[in-house]
Amino acid sequence: MSRFLIQRPLPHGGRLVERVVTDKEAAKKMIKGCPSYDIKPTLHYETGVPVRNVYREIMSICYGFFSPVEGSMKQAEVERILKERRLLNEWIFPYPLVFDISEEDYKQLGVGPGDRLVLNLKGKPFAILDIEEVWRIDNPEELAHLTFGTPERNPEVVREPFNKKHPGWVIYRSLQPVVLAGKYTIINEPKFRPPFDRFWYPPRKSREEFDKRGWRTVINHQTRNVPHVGHEFLMKCAAFTGDVEPCHGILVNAVIGVKRRGDYPDEAIVEGHEAVNKGGYIKPERHLPTIVLWDMRYGNPLESLLHGIIRQNMGCTHHMFGRDHAAVGEYYDKWATQILWTKGIPSYGFPAPPTDVPYGLDIRPQNMREFSYCPTCKEMAYSETCGHKREKLSGSFLRGMVAEGVQPPTIIMRPEVYKVIVKWWKHFGYPFCNEKYVVNKEKELEVDLEDL
Amino acid sequence: MGEYFMVVLLDDHRMAKIRGTGLEEHIKYMFGGELRLLEVKVTEELKDRILQEFDTARVDSRGAITDVPVAFMRELFNQVVEKKSLGPEVVEAVLEKVDEIKKAAEKESEYLPPPEIEEE
Ligand SMILES: [Zn+2]
Repeated sequence: MSRFLIQRPLPHGGRLVERVVTDKEAAKKMIKGCPSYDIKPTLHYETGVPVRNVYREIMSICYGFFSPVEGSMKQAEVERILKERRLLNEWIFPYPLVFDISEEDYKQLGVGPGDRLVLNLKGKPFAILDIEEVWRIDNPEELAHLTFGTPERNPEVVREPFNKKHPGWVIYRSLQPVVLAGKYTIINEPKFRPPFDRFWYPPRKSREEFDKRGWRTVINHQTRNVPHVGHEFLMKCAAFTGDVEPCHGILVNAVIGVKRRGDYPDEAIVEGHEAVNKGGYIKPERHLPTIVLWDMRYGNPLESLLHGIIRQNMGCTHHMFGRDHAAVGEYYDKWATQILWTKGIPSYGFPAPPTDVPYGLDIRPQNMREFSYCPTCKEMAYSETCGHKREKLSGSFLRGMVAEGVQPPTIIMRPEVYKVIVKWWKHFGYPFCNEKYVVNKEKELEVDLEDL
Repeated sequence: MGEYFMVVLLDDHRMAKIRGTGLEEHIKYMFGGELRLLEVKVTEELKDRILQEFDTARVDSRGAITDVPVAFMRELFNQVVEKKSLGPEVVEAVLEKVDEIKKAAEKESEYLPPPEIEEE
């Protein structure tokens, strides 16, 4: 065997966290006599619009996407993350994750350390939280600033102070004051509604799927967008990285969660990626579109760290990162993510890249620039190799074209993908997420639950 | 920097309307001639006003202002035809009708008619 072969990395933290009880009888016994609480969405601190649902974090934690995180974090752990982006067990992690409730709910519940709280979702028992500590967020605005950084404290990459126009900052600013810290366990597995059900590959399953397909090397493509041809070329060209041969597989992992108006519906995003392989542009044997539940924090380099963790846990060997990775607005340097993965960002606790610090990651970054159509080469060309003037296209440019009812040329968007957009456009009466979609989504979520 | 613009896509219907305005020579062809369009200049100050008036509006990596209401884009085309120009006065004229556009945009934020194409 060549010494250059890359092996699949272990999960972050050494083993997959799996906290899902599938035996209903055992689950019933576990929750007997315990107090219960109906999970509520986090509402925007000013407008009252839902901005987060903690159920998505519970799912991602219990199915191991966020390994080695096992639950809602204690105060000391949150403080350590804000200072050094590390968990108390040393492994790197970018964001505080907490189960927060109001003072009124806390009083009414009357629970404390040592108690087991049953968490209901859509009126059905869903998970338990074994409370180890109760602590308070005294100043959510400060927490929000510490979570993302400031131009003064993080001069390497933060360009503008965060504020209420940043959806991730708003999530932390909107947290309730009482945190119940402790491990989560899912005791009643939710069922994904179509089309999400066929894209659900939690880490154990994705690793098994890679084995089945004979994929040793797998490169991840992060998405929250319907793919245009530029994305398609990024995916297939980044896959040439590999080791002694190009990557065996391309894992598309779509972040499914709270939406902003103007985004594409999650249904169109997952089926749009699937259309790329159905149409044969990347053959299905080499391409696997999947989902992860998470309300995007848009933390650019910090978000990329979470993405690295999720995809390493899923079994990927490589992760591609582009310009403005998981960014919104101009809060961060356009290349902040690539700076993190090539040099590190000392002010966030990374004097070296996250792959080169103790208790760091093993997934390899593949930092990509962009593909666009070159009229001289007459093909989709890479910005760093083609020496001509290219015709750039952006996601928002495309969105505008779609909204005006103009079908994009095949060289911009594959007709199969456009058909998916129109399919869901007809379904929702709208090509993008409108107010109704955003509100409905947070009411219905992506899953249903059966009685326990 | 400071170079912003808005794209007016031209389908056959719109091509007929700009015939004789003198704008034909400014038509740009992209993607191997598959796409025809005009680019309207936007000043820094007008860009800021658009972003302020419409919270969905974004500036993409090329400096194109996008994600404004479809009603805005329709009026943009109307003003291009009326002013026979691609200068900043076009967007200025569009912004004079901002209340009207916002009213139309309210409806279109709930519903847009899907194109009649065949699905699988
Ligand atoms: Zn070229």
